[in-house]
Amino acid sequence: MEKFCLTKKKSIRINEDTWIIIFEEYLDFLPGQFVMLETPKLVRKPFVLGYWEDNLAISVQVKGKGTKWLVEETRKVKGHGPLGNGFKKDGKGILIVSPTCLTMVNAFRKKVNVDVLVGSKTPVLVPLEFDVVVGNEEFLNKISTLPEYDWYLVSGSKSMEKVCWNHLRGKNVYFSLEEYMGCGIGACKSCAVFTKNGVKHVCTDGPIFRGDELCWS
Amino acid sequence: MLELSPPLVLLSGPTGFGEYLKLVDPKYVGGVILKTVTLHPKKGNPTPRMADGDFYVINRIGLENPGIHAFIRQIPQLSIPTIASLGGDSFEEYLEVSRIFKEVSERFCGVEYNFSCPNVKEGGLSIVEDTNRWKNLLNEIRTILPNTFLIAKVGIEGVFVEKAAKIVVDSGWNGITLVNTVRGLHFERGHMILGGLSGPLLKPIALRAVYEVRKMYPDLFIIASGGVYSVKDAEEFLNVGANVVGVGSALFKNPEIVEEIGRYLLEVKG
Ligand SMILES: Cc1cc2nc3c(=O)[nH]c(=O)nc-3n(C[C@H](O)[C@H](O)[C@H](O)COP(=O)(O)O)c2cc1C
Ligand code: FES
Repeated sequence: MEKFCLTKKKSIRINEDTWIIIFEEYLDFLPGQFVMLETPKLVRKPFVLGYWEDNLAISVQVKGKGTKWLVEETRKVKGHGPLGNGFKKDGKGILIVSPTCLTMVNAFRKKVNVDVLVGSKTPVLVPLEFDVVVGNEEFLNKISTLPEYDWYLVSGSKSMEKVCWNHLRGKNVYFSLEEYMGCGIGACKSCAVFTKNGVKHVCTDGPIFRGDELCWS
Repeated sequence: MLELSPPLVLLSGPTGFGEYLKLVDPKYVGGVILKTVTLHPKKGNPTPRMADGDFYVINRIGLENPGIHAFIRQIPQLSIPTIASLGGDSFEEYLEVSRIFKEVSERFCGVEYNFSCPNVKEGGLSIVEDTNRWKNLLNEIRTILPNTFLIAKVGIEGVFVEKAAKIVVDSGWNGITLVNTVRGLHFERGHMILGGLSGPLLKPIALRAVYEVRKMYPDLFIIASGGVYSVKDAEEFLNVGANVVGVGSALFKNPEIVEEIGRYLLEVKG
Protein backbone atom coordinates (compact mmCIF):
# COMPACT_ATOMS: atom_id res chain seq x y z
CA MET A 1 0.00 0.00 0.00
CA GLU A 2 1.21 3.49 -0.77
CA LYS A 3 0.07 7.08 -0.50
CA PHE A 4 -0.20 8.70 -3.90
CA CYS A 5 -1.43 11.67 -5.87
CA LEU A 6 -2.94 10.83 -9.26
CA THR A 7 -3.44 13.16 -12.20
CA LYS A 8 -6.69 12.97 -14.11
CA LYS A 9 -6.30 12.59 -17.85
CA LYS A 10 -9.99 12.68 -18.72
CA SER A 11 -13.52 11.68 -17.69
CA ILE A 12 -15.83 9.74 -19.99
CA ARG A 13 -19.55 9.52 -19.42
CA ILE A 14 -20.88 5.98 -19.73
CA ASN A 15 -24.50 6.27 -18.66
CA GLU A 16 -26.88 8.67 -16.98
CA ASP A 17 -24.92 9.06 -13.76
CA THR A 18 -21.69 7.09 -14.19
CA TRP A 19 -18.33 8.26 -15.45
CA ILE A 20 -14.95 6.71 -16.05
CA ILE A 21 -11.94 8.64 -14.86
CA ILE A 22 -8.65 7.91 -16.56
CA PHE A 23 -5.35 8.71 -14.85
CA GLU A 24 -1.93 9.53 -16.22
CA GLU A 25 -0.05 7.40 -13.68
CA TYR A 26 -0.01 3.65 -13.07
CA LEU A 27 -0.44 1.66 -9.87
CA ASP A 28 0.43 -1.98 -9.35
CA PHE A 29 -2.71 -3.83 -8.27
CA LEU A 30 -4.60 -7.11 -8.49
CA PRO A 31 -8.08 -7.36 -10.04
CA GLY A 32 -10.64 -6.75 -7.28
CA GLN A 33 -8.48 -4.34 -5.25
CA PHE A 34 -9.53 -0.75 -4.51
CA VAL A 35 -8.17 2.63 -3.43
CA MET A 36 -9.42 5.30 -1.02
CA LEU A 37 -9.60 8.70 -2.70
CA GLU A 38 -9.83 12.11 -1.08
CA THR A 39 -12.51 14.61 -2.07
CA PRO A 40 -13.70 17.82 -0.39
CA LYS A 41 -15.80 15.58 1.88
CA LEU A 42 -14.52 14.68 5.35
CA VAL A 43 -13.99 10.99 4.62
CA ARG A 44 -12.12 9.35 1.73
CA LYS A 45 -14.20 7.09 -0.48
CA PRO A 46 -13.40 3.64 -1.92
CA PHE A 47 -13.09 3.04 -5.69
CA VAL A 48 -12.31 -0.30 -7.32
CA LEU A 49 -9.25 -0.15 -9.56
CA GLY A 50 -9.25 -0.99 -13.22
CA TYR A 51 -8.28 0.06 -16.70
CA TRP A 52 -9.80 1.99 -19.57
CA GLU A 53 -8.08 2.25 -22.93
CA ASP A 54 -5.02 0.70 -21.25
CA ASN A 55 -4.81 3.48 -18.66
CA LEU A 56 -5.31 3.21 -14.93
CA ALA A 57 -8.97 4.08 -14.38
CA ILE A 58 -11.88 4.05 -11.94
CA SER A 59 -15.63 4.25 -12.47
CA VAL A 60 -17.52 6.87 -10.52
CA GLN A 61 -21.25 7.00 -9.99
CA VAL A 62 -22.08 10.63 -9.24
CA LYS A 63 -24.06 10.60 -5.99
CA GLY A 64 -23.14 13.87 -4.32
CA LYS A 65 -20.66 16.65 -3.79
CA GLY A 66 -17.55 14.45 -3.52
CA THR A 67 -18.12 12.33 -6.60
CA LYS A 68 -19.19 15.39 -8.62
CA TRP A 69 -15.94 17.09 -7.66
CA LEU A 70 -13.96 14.03 -8.75
CA VAL A 71 -15.64 13.90 -12.14
CA GLU A 72 -15.99 17.58 -12.95
CA GLU A 73 -13.69 19.74 -10.94
CA THR A 74 -10.36 18.38 -9.84
CA ARG A 75 -7.25 17.41 -11.80
CA LYS A 76 -5.24 15.96 -8.90
CA VAL A 77 -6.54 13.28 -6.55
CA LYS A 78 -4.82 12.14 -3.36
CA GLY A 79 -5.37 8.67 -2.00
CA HIS A 80 -3.99 5.47 -0.56
CA GLY A 81 -3.97 1.90 -1.80
CA PRO A 82 -4.20 -0.57 -3.40
CA LEU A 83 -6.31 -2.12 -0.66
CA GLY A 84 -8.21 -5.32 -0.04
CA ASN A 85 -7.56 -8.68 -1.65
CA GLY A 86 -7.23 -9.52 -5.29
CA PHE A 87 -9.48 -12.22 -6.78
CA LYS A 88 -8.19 -15.15 -8.80
CA LYS A 89 -9.99 -18.41 -9.57
CA ASP A 90 -9.23 -21.24 -11.98
CA GLY A 91 -11.61 -22.26 -14.71
CA LYS A 92 -14.02 -20.27 -16.82
CA GLY A 93 -15.84 -17.51 -15.00
CA ILE A 94 -18.28 -14.71 -15.65
CA LEU A 95 -18.38 -11.18 -14.24
CA ILE A 96 -21.92 -9.90 -13.69
CA VAL A 97 -21.62 -6.19 -13.11
CA SER A 98 -23.23 -2.79 -13.15
CA PRO A 99 -21.68 -0.03 -15.31
CA THR A 100 -19.77 1.24 -12.26
CA CYS A 101 -17.58 -1.85 -12.57
CA LEU A 102 -16.55 -1.61 -16.23
CA THR A 103 -13.02 -0.52 -15.38
CA MET A 104 -12.67 -3.46 -12.97
CA VAL A 105 -13.86 -5.76 -15.75
CA ASN A 106 -10.94 -4.62 -17.90
CA ALA A 107 -8.53 -5.41 -15.07
CA PHE A 108 -9.81 -9.00 -15.03
CA ARG A 109 -9.80 -9.32 -18.81
CA LYS A 110 -6.17 -8.29 -18.89
CA LYS A 111 -5.26 -11.34 -16.80
CA VAL A 112 -7.90 -14.02 -17.45
CA ASN A 113 -10.35 -15.09 -20.09
CA VAL A 114 -13.76 -14.25 -18.60
CA ASP A 115 -17.22 -13.61 -19.94
CA VAL A 116 -18.95 -10.41 -18.94
CA LEU A 117 -22.57 -9.43 -18.45
CA VAL A 118 -23.38 -5.80 -17.78
CA GLY A 119 -26.74 -4.89 -16.27
CA SER A 120 -27.60 -1.21 -16.51
CA LYS A 121 -30.74 0.67 -15.49
CA THR A 122 -30.21 3.24 -18.26
CA PRO A 123 -28.65 2.88 -21.73
CA VAL A 124 -24.85 2.64 -21.88
CA LEU A 125 -23.38 5.46 -23.93
CA VAL A 126 -20.06 3.89 -24.93
CA PRO A 127 -19.55 0.92 -27.28
CA LEU A 128 -18.78 -2.29 -25.33
CA GLU A 129 -17.59 -5.61 -26.69
CA PHE A 130 -19.64 -7.72 -24.27
CA ASP A 131 -23.25 -8.42 -23.32
CA VAL A 132 -25.19 -5.44 -22.00
CA VAL A 133 -28.78 -5.66 -20.80
CA VAL A 134 -30.80 -2.58 -19.98
CA GLY A 135 -33.64 -2.69 -17.44
CA ASN A 136 -34.60 -5.08 -14.63
CA GLU A 137 -36.74 -7.45 -16.65
CA GLU A 138 -34.11 -8.04 -19.31
CA PHE A 139 -31.54 -8.62 -16.63
CA LEU A 140 -33.74 -11.21 -14.92
CA ASN A 141 -34.28 -13.05 -18.22
CA LYS A 142 -30.60 -13.10 -18.92
CA ILE A 143 -29.62 -14.33 -15.45
CA SER A 144 -32.12 -17.17 -15.51
CA THR A 145 -30.78 -18.45 -18.84
CA LEU A 146 -27.06 -18.21 -18.15
CA PRO A 147 -24.93 -21.19 -19.18
CA GLU A 148 -22.83 -23.02 -16.54
CA TYR A 149 -19.59 -21.43 -15.39
CA ASP A 150 -16.91 -22.56 -12.94
CA TRP A 151 -17.36 -19.34 -11.00
CA TYR A 152 -19.48 -16.20 -10.99
CA LEU A 153 -18.45 -12.80 -9.64
CA VAL A 154 -21.21 -10.27 -9.02
CA SER A 155 -20.45 -6.60 -8.49
CA GLY A 156 -23.31 -4.15 -8.51
CA SER A 157 -26.15 -2.73 -6.46
CA LYS A 158 -27.70 -4.56 -3.49
CA SER A 159 -30.74 -5.40 -5.61
CA MET A 160 -28.54 -6.87 -8.35
CA GLU A 161 -26.77 -8.97 -5.70
CA LYS A 162 -30.12 -10.30 -4.42
CA VAL A 163 -31.39 -11.23 -7.87
CA CYS A 164 -28.14 -13.01 -8.67
CA TRP A 165 -28.11 -14.89 -5.38
CA ASN A 166 -31.70 -16.06 -5.92
CA HIS A 167 -30.78 -17.50 -9.31
CA LEU A 168 -27.24 -18.68 -8.74
CA ARG A 169 -27.19 -20.00 -5.17
CA GLY A 170 -25.65 -23.44 -4.94
CA LYS A 171 -23.05 -22.46 -7.54
CA ASN A 172 -19.59 -21.05 -7.04
CA VAL A 173 -20.74 -17.46 -6.74
CA TYR A 174 -18.84 -14.52 -5.26
CA PHE A 175 -19.87 -10.97 -4.46
CA SER A 176 -17.75 -7.84 -4.43
CA LEU A 177 -19.32 -5.90 -1.56
CA GLU A 178 -19.67 -2.18 -1.10
CA GLU A 179 -19.86 -0.76 2.40
CA TYR A 180 -19.22 2.69 3.77
CA MET A 181 -15.51 2.89 4.56
CA GLY A 182 -13.64 5.24 6.86
CA CYS A 183 -10.08 4.05 6.54
CA GLY A 184 -9.82 1.15 4.09
CA ILE A 185 -7.09 -0.47 6.20
CA GLY A 186 -8.91 -2.32 8.99
CA ALA A 187 -8.65 0.38 11.66
CA CYS A 188 -12.08 2.01 12.06
CA LYS A 189 -14.43 -1.01 11.85
CA SER A 190 -17.00 0.92 9.84
CA CYS A 191 -17.14 -1.61 6.97
CA ALA A 192 -18.35 -4.65 8.92
CA VAL A 193 -20.21 -7.50 7.31
CA PHE A 194 -21.84 -10.16 9.49
CA THR A 195 -20.98 -13.47 7.85
CA LYS A 196 -21.66 -17.08 8.82
CA ASN A 197 -18.05 -17.09 10.06
CA GLY A 198 -18.45 -14.03 12.30
CA VAL A 199 -17.80 -10.34 11.77
CA LYS A 200 -15.59 -9.60 8.77
CA HIS A 201 -14.46 -6.32 7.28
CA VAL A 202 -14.95 -5.49 3.64
CA CYS A 203 -11.69 -3.54 3.44
CA THR A 204 -9.35 -6.21 4.79
CA ASP A 205 -11.22 -9.54 4.43
CA GLY A 206 -12.87 -8.58 1.15
CA PRO A 207 -13.99 -6.81 -0.84
CA ILE A 208 -14.93 -10.13 -2.47
CA PHE A 209 -16.81 -12.76 -0.42
CA ARG A 210 -18.28 -16.16 -1.24
CA GLY A 211 -22.07 -15.97 -1.53
CA ASP A 212 -22.64 -18.87 0.85
CA GLU A 213 -20.56 -17.15 3.52
CA LEU A 214 -22.89 -14.13 3.59
CA CYS A 215 -26.10 -13.92 5.64
CA TRP A 216 -28.97 -13.37 3.19
CA SER A 217 -32.18 -12.17 4.75
CA MET B 1 3.46 12.99 34.13
CA LEU B 2 3.26 11.37 30.74
CA GLU B 3 5.66 13.03 28.29
CA LEU B 4 4.80 12.42 24.65
CA SER B 5 6.90 13.86 21.87
CA PRO B 6 5.43 15.41 19.87
CA PRO B 7 2.38 16.04 22.12
CA LEU B 8 0.12 14.46 19.51
CA VAL B 9 -1.82 11.20 19.79
CA LEU B 10 -3.99 9.18 17.44
CA LEU B 11 -7.34 8.80 19.21
CA SER B 12 -9.17 5.65 20.20
CA GLY B 13 -11.32 4.19 17.43
CA PRO B 14 -10.14 5.70 14.16
CA THR B 15 -6.66 4.35 14.95
CA GLY B 16 -7.86 0.78 15.48
CA PHE B 17 -5.27 -1.41 17.17
CA GLY B 18 -2.49 0.56 15.52
CA GLU B 19 -3.40 -0.26 11.90
CA TYR B 20 -3.48 3.43 11.11
CA LEU B 21 0.28 3.67 11.69
CA LYS B 22 0.65 2.11 8.24
CA LEU B 23 -0.37 5.51 6.89
CA VAL B 24 1.70 7.92 8.99
CA ASP B 25 5.36 8.19 9.77
CA PRO B 26 5.52 7.31 13.50
CA LYS B 27 8.19 9.89 14.14
CA TYR B 28 5.52 12.59 13.85
CA VAL B 29 3.20 10.95 16.37
CA GLY B 30 3.83 10.99 20.14
CA GLY B 31 1.53 8.13 21.01
CA VAL B 32 -1.40 5.95 20.08
CA ILE B 33 -4.61 5.26 21.99
CA LEU B 34 -5.93 1.86 20.95
CA LYS B 35 -9.56 0.97 20.24
CA THR B 36 -11.66 0.44 23.37
CA VAL B 37 -11.62 -3.14 24.65
CA THR B 38 -14.41 -4.59 26.80
CA LEU B 39 -14.64 -7.68 29.00
CA HIS B 40 -16.52 -9.74 26.42
CA PRO B 41 -16.05 -9.58 22.65
CA LYS B 42 -18.50 -7.25 20.91
CA LYS B 43 -19.53 -7.68 17.31
CA GLY B 44 -20.73 -4.09 17.03
CA ASN B 45 -23.78 -2.65 15.27
CA PRO B 46 -25.18 -3.57 11.86
CA THR B 47 -24.18 -1.28 8.99
CA PRO B 48 -24.40 1.53 8.12
CA ARG B 49 -22.00 2.32 10.93
CA MET B 50 -20.73 5.65 9.74
CA ALA B 51 -21.59 8.63 7.54
CA ASP B 52 -20.18 12.05 6.88
CA GLY B 53 -21.97 15.39 6.65
CA ASP B 54 -20.52 18.73 5.61
CA PHE B 55 -18.94 19.48 8.98
CA TYR B 56 -19.13 16.27 10.93
CA VAL B 57 -18.65 12.56 10.92
CA ILE B 58 -21.19 10.37 12.67
CA ASN B 59 -20.49 6.83 13.81
CA ARG B 60 -22.31 3.99 15.48
CA ILE B 61 -19.63 1.31 15.41
CA GLY B 62 -20.90 -0.09 18.71
CA LEU B 63 -17.46 -0.83 20.20
CA GLU B 64 -16.66 -3.82 18.01
CA ASN B 65 -13.69 -5.45 19.72
CA PRO B 66 -12.30 -8.94 20.43
CA GLY B 67 -12.67 -8.72 24.24
CA ILE B 68 -9.93 -8.31 26.83
CA HIS B 69 -8.72 -11.92 26.77
CA ALA B 70 -8.14 -12.01 23.02
CA PHE B 71 -6.63 -8.53 23.20
CA ILE B 72 -4.10 -9.63 25.81
CA ARG B 73 -3.11 -12.62 23.70
CA GLN B 74 -2.20 -10.36 20.79
CA ILE B 75 -1.13 -6.98 22.11
CA PRO B 76 0.01 -4.94 19.11
CA GLN B 77 3.75 -4.26 19.17
CA LEU B 78 3.98 -0.63 18.11
CA SER B 79 7.08 1.48 17.79
CA ILE B 80 5.66 4.42 19.75
CA PRO B 81 4.15 4.88 23.25
CA THR B 82 0.82 3.09 23.46
CA ILE B 83 -2.18 3.80 25.67
CA ALA B 84 -4.81 1.09 26.05
CA SER B 85 -8.51 1.97 26.16
CA LEU B 86 -10.90 0.01 28.36
CA GLY B 87 -14.68 0.04 28.57
CA GLY B 88 -17.53 -1.96 30.00
CA ASP B 89 -21.26 -2.54 30.03
CA SER B 90 -21.59 -2.22 33.80
CA PHE B 91 -19.67 -1.19 36.92
CA GLU B 92 -18.73 -4.82 37.52
CA GLU B 93 -17.40 -5.18 33.98
CA TYR B 94 -15.18 -2.10 34.36
CA LEU B 95 -13.71 -3.66 37.51
CA GLU B 96 -13.27 -7.10 35.99
CA VAL B 97 -11.64 -5.76 32.85
CA SER B 98 -9.26 -3.74 35.06
CA ARG B 99 -8.26 -6.83 37.06
CA ILE B 100 -7.51 -8.76 33.90
CA PHE B 101 -5.67 -5.82 32.37
CA LYS B 102 -3.43 -5.54 35.44
CA GLU B 103 -1.19 -8.41 34.33
CA VAL B 104 -0.21 -6.51 31.15
CA SER B 105 -0.47 -2.93 32.41
CA GLU B 106 3.28 -2.42 32.33
CA ARG B 107 3.33 -2.85 28.59
CA PHE B 108 1.44 0.43 28.17
CA CYS B 109 2.37 3.96 29.12
CA GLY B 110 -1.14 4.51 30.42
CA VAL B 111 -4.74 3.44 30.14
CA GLU B 112 -7.69 5.53 29.07
CA TYR B 113 -11.11 4.50 30.37
CA ASN B 114 -13.94 5.14 27.98
CA PHE B 115 -16.75 6.54 30.15
CA SER B 116 -18.48 8.18 27.24
CA CYS B 117 -19.31 5.88 24.33
CA PRO B 118 -22.76 6.87 23.04
CA ASN B 119 -23.12 3.73 20.94
CA VAL B 120 -23.67 0.95 23.43
CA LYS B 121 -26.88 0.25 25.33
CA GLU B 122 -25.41 -0.11 28.80
CA GLY B 123 -22.22 1.30 30.22
CA GLY B 124 -20.67 3.90 27.96
CA LEU B 125 -22.23 7.29 28.51
CA SER B 126 -24.70 6.26 31.18
CA ILE B 127 -21.94 5.13 33.54
CA VAL B 128 -21.24 8.72 34.64
CA GLU B 129 -24.86 9.62 35.38
CA ASP B 130 -24.85 8.37 38.93
CA THR B 131 -21.88 10.43 40.01
CA ASN B 132 -21.56 8.79 43.44
CA ARG B 133 -21.34 5.31 41.99
CA TRP B 134 -19.01 6.55 39.27
CA LYS B 135 -16.75 8.08 41.89
CA ASN B 136 -16.63 4.76 43.76
CA LEU B 137 -15.78 3.04 40.50
CA LEU B 138 -12.86 5.38 39.85
CA ASN B 139 -11.58 4.77 43.38
CA GLU B 140 -11.84 1.02 42.99
CA ILE B 141 -10.04 1.06 39.66
CA ARG B 142 -7.30 3.16 41.26
CA THR B 143 -6.96 0.48 43.96
CA ILE B 144 -6.71 -2.29 41.36
CA LEU B 145 -4.12 -0.37 39.31
CA PRO B 146 -2.24 1.66 41.92
CA ASN B 147 0.74 2.55 39.71
CA THR B 148 -0.84 2.91 36.29
CA PHE B 149 -1.22 6.27 34.53
CA LEU B 150 -5.03 6.46 34.54
CA ILE B 151 -6.92 8.72 32.15
CA ALA B 152 -10.71 9.14 32.16
CA LYS B 153 -12.32 9.94 28.82
CA VAL B 154 -15.52 11.89 29.33
CA GLY B 155 -17.96 13.56 27.01
CA ILE B 156 -20.25 16.50 27.54
CA GLU B 157 -23.35 14.43 28.22
CA GLY B 158 -24.44 12.78 31.46
CA VAL B 159 -22.51 15.15 33.69
CA PHE B 160 -20.86 18.58 33.38
CA VAL B 161 -17.19 18.28 32.47
CA GLU B 162 -16.24 20.44 35.45
CA LYS B 163 -17.94 18.01 37.81
CA ALA B 164 -16.44 15.02 36.02
CA ALA B 165 -12.97 16.55 36.25
CA LYS B 166 -13.34 17.09 39.99
CA ILE B 167 -14.28 13.46 40.49
CA VAL B 168 -11.36 12.32 38.34
CA VAL B 169 -8.89 14.42 40.32
CA ASP B 170 -10.37 13.53 43.72
CA SER B 171 -10.07 9.84 42.86
CA GLY B 172 -6.35 10.15 42.32
CA TRP B 173 -6.45 9.66 38.57
CA ASN B 174 -3.72 11.23 36.44
CA GLY B 175 -5.50 12.62 33.45
CA ILE B 176 -8.64 13.33 31.50
CA THR B 177 -9.50 13.16 27.80
CA LEU B 178 -11.96 15.84 26.68
CA VAL B 179 -14.29 15.13 24.90
CA ASN B 180 -15.85 12.07 23.31
CA THR B 181 -18.38 12.16 20.49
CA VAL B 182 -21.75 13.81 21.16
CA ARG B 183 -25.02 12.03 20.33
CA GLY B 184 -26.29 13.08 16.93
CA LEU B 185 -28.71 12.13 14.18
CA HIS B 186 -27.93 12.11 10.49
CA PHE B 187 -30.15 11.32 7.51
CA GLU B 188 -28.41 9.27 4.83
CA ARG B 189 -30.62 9.01 1.73
CA GLY B 190 -33.71 9.11 3.93
CA HIS B 191 -32.41 6.64 6.50
CA MET B 192 -31.70 7.78 10.04
CA ILE B 193 -28.30 7.14 11.54
CA LEU B 194 -28.16 7.65 15.30
CA GLY B 195 -24.57 7.89 16.41
CA GLY B 196 -21.76 9.86 17.95
CA LEU B 197 -20.81 13.07 16.25
CA SER B 198 -17.15 13.99 15.71
CA GLY B 199 -15.13 16.18 13.38
CA PRO B 200 -15.04 19.97 12.86
CA LEU B 201 -18.42 20.64 14.55
CA LEU B 202 -17.06 19.18 17.78
CA LYS B 203 -14.07 21.50 17.99
CA PRO B 204 -15.60 24.54 19.77
CA ILE B 205 -17.26 22.21 22.27
CA ALA B 206 -14.00 20.40 23.00
CA LEU B 207 -12.07 23.68 23.20
CA ARG B 208 -14.50 25.02 25.79
CA ALA B 209 -14.30 21.81 27.82
CA VAL B 210 -10.48 21.89 27.90
CA TYR B 211 -10.56 25.60 28.74
CA GLU B 212 -12.93 25.14 31.71
CA VAL B 213 -11.13 22.14 33.16
CA ARG B 214 -7.69 23.73 32.81
CA LYS B 215 -8.94 26.78 34.73
CA MET B 216 -9.86 24.51 37.62
CA TYR B 217 -6.79 22.26 37.59
CA PRO B 218 -3.49 23.79 36.47
CA ASP B 219 -1.65 20.45 36.82
CA LEU B 220 -4.12 17.89 35.49
CA PHE B 221 -2.95 16.01 32.40
CA ILE B 222 -5.41 16.80 29.59
CA ILE B 223 -5.71 15.12 26.20
CA ALA B 224 -7.82 17.15 23.77
CA SER B 225 -10.19 15.26 21.49
CA GLY B 226 -12.56 16.91 19.04
CA GLY B 227 -12.23 18.25 15.54
CA VAL B 228 -8.48 18.68 15.14
CA TYR B 229 -7.82 19.00 11.39
CA SER B 230 -4.93 21.46 11.17
CA VAL B 231 -1.90 22.99 12.86
CA LYS B 232 -4.12 25.93 13.81
CA ASP B 233 -6.63 23.64 15.54
CA ALA B 234 -3.81 21.95 17.47
CA GLU B 235 -2.37 25.31 18.51
CA GLU B 236 -5.76 26.46 19.81
CA PHE B 237 -6.09 23.38 21.99
CA LEU B 238 -2.59 23.91 23.38
CA ASN B 239 -3.45 27.58 24.01
CA VAL B 240 -6.42 26.67 26.17
CA GLY B 241 -4.29 24.27 28.16
CA ALA B 242 -4.24 20.80 26.59
CA ASN B 243 -1.06 18.82 27.29
CA VAL B 244 -1.59 16.59 24.29
CA VAL B 245 -3.68 17.02 21.16
CA GLY B 246 -5.56 14.06 19.68
CA VAL B 247 -6.60 13.43 16.10
CA GLY B 248 -9.49 11.10 15.31
CA SER B 249 -11.81 11.73 12.40
CA ALA B 250 -9.15 13.71 10.53
CA LEU B 251 -7.46 10.37 9.94
CA PHE B 252 -10.27 9.57 7.51
CA LYS B 253 -9.57 12.73 5.54
CA ASN B 254 -5.83 12.74 5.11
CA PRO B 255 -2.92 11.13 6.96
CA GLU B 256 -0.71 14.01 5.88
CA ILE B 257 -2.63 16.25 8.30
CA VAL B 258 -1.23 14.19 11.15
CA GLU B 259 2.33 14.44 9.87
CA GLU B 260 2.00 18.16 9.32
CA ILE B 261 0.72 18.78 12.87
CA GLY B 262 3.35 16.42 14.30
CA ARG B 263 6.17 18.11 12.42
CA TYR B 264 5.04 21.50 13.65
CA LEU B 265 4.68 20.36 17.26
CA LEU B 266 8.13 18.73 17.18
CA GLU B 267 9.61 22.03 16.08
CA VAL B 268 7.89 24.21 18.65
CA LYS B 269 7.46 21.79 21.54
CA GLY B 270 10.07 19.06 21.03
C1 LIG C 1 -15.32 5.61 13.91
C2 LIG C 1 -15.04 6.08 15.30
C3 LIG C 1 -14.84 5.15 16.33
C4 LIG C 1 -14.59 5.56 17.62
N1 LIG C 1 -14.37 4.62 18.58
C5 LIG C 1 -14.01 5.02 19.84
C6 LIG C 1 -13.68 4.06 20.84
O1 LIG C 1 -13.68 2.85 20.62
N2 LIG C 1 -13.34 4.52 22.07
C7 LIG C 1 -13.30 5.85 22.37
O2 LIG C 1 -12.96 6.20 23.51
N3 LIG C 1 -13.61 6.79 21.44
C8 LIG C 1 -13.94 6.40 20.18
N4 LIG C 1 -14.23 7.35 19.22
C9 LIG C 1 -14.14 8.78 19.58
C10 LIG C 1 -12.79 9.37 19.19
O3 LIG C 1 -11.72 8.77 19.89
C11 LIG C 1 -12.76 10.87 19.44
O4 LIG C 1 -12.86 11.09 20.82
C12 LIG C 1 -13.87 11.61 18.74
O5 LIG C 1 -14.05 11.11 17.45
C13 LIG C 1 -13.61 13.12 18.67
O6 LIG C 1 -12.43 13.45 18.00
P1 LIG C 1 -12.37 13.80 16.43
O7 LIG C 1 -13.31 14.93 16.18
O8 LIG C 1 -10.92 14.14 16.18
O9 LIG C 1 -12.78 12.57 15.73
C14 LIG C 1 -14.51 6.95 17.92
C15 LIG C 1 -14.71 7.89 16.90
C16 LIG C 1 -14.97 7.49 15.60
C17 LIG C 1 -15.18 8.52 14.54
S1 FES D 1 -12.92 0.88 6.34
FE1 FES D 1 -12.04 1.11 8.30
S2 FES D 1 -12.08 -0.97 8.96
FE2 FES D 1 -12.75 -1.15 6.94
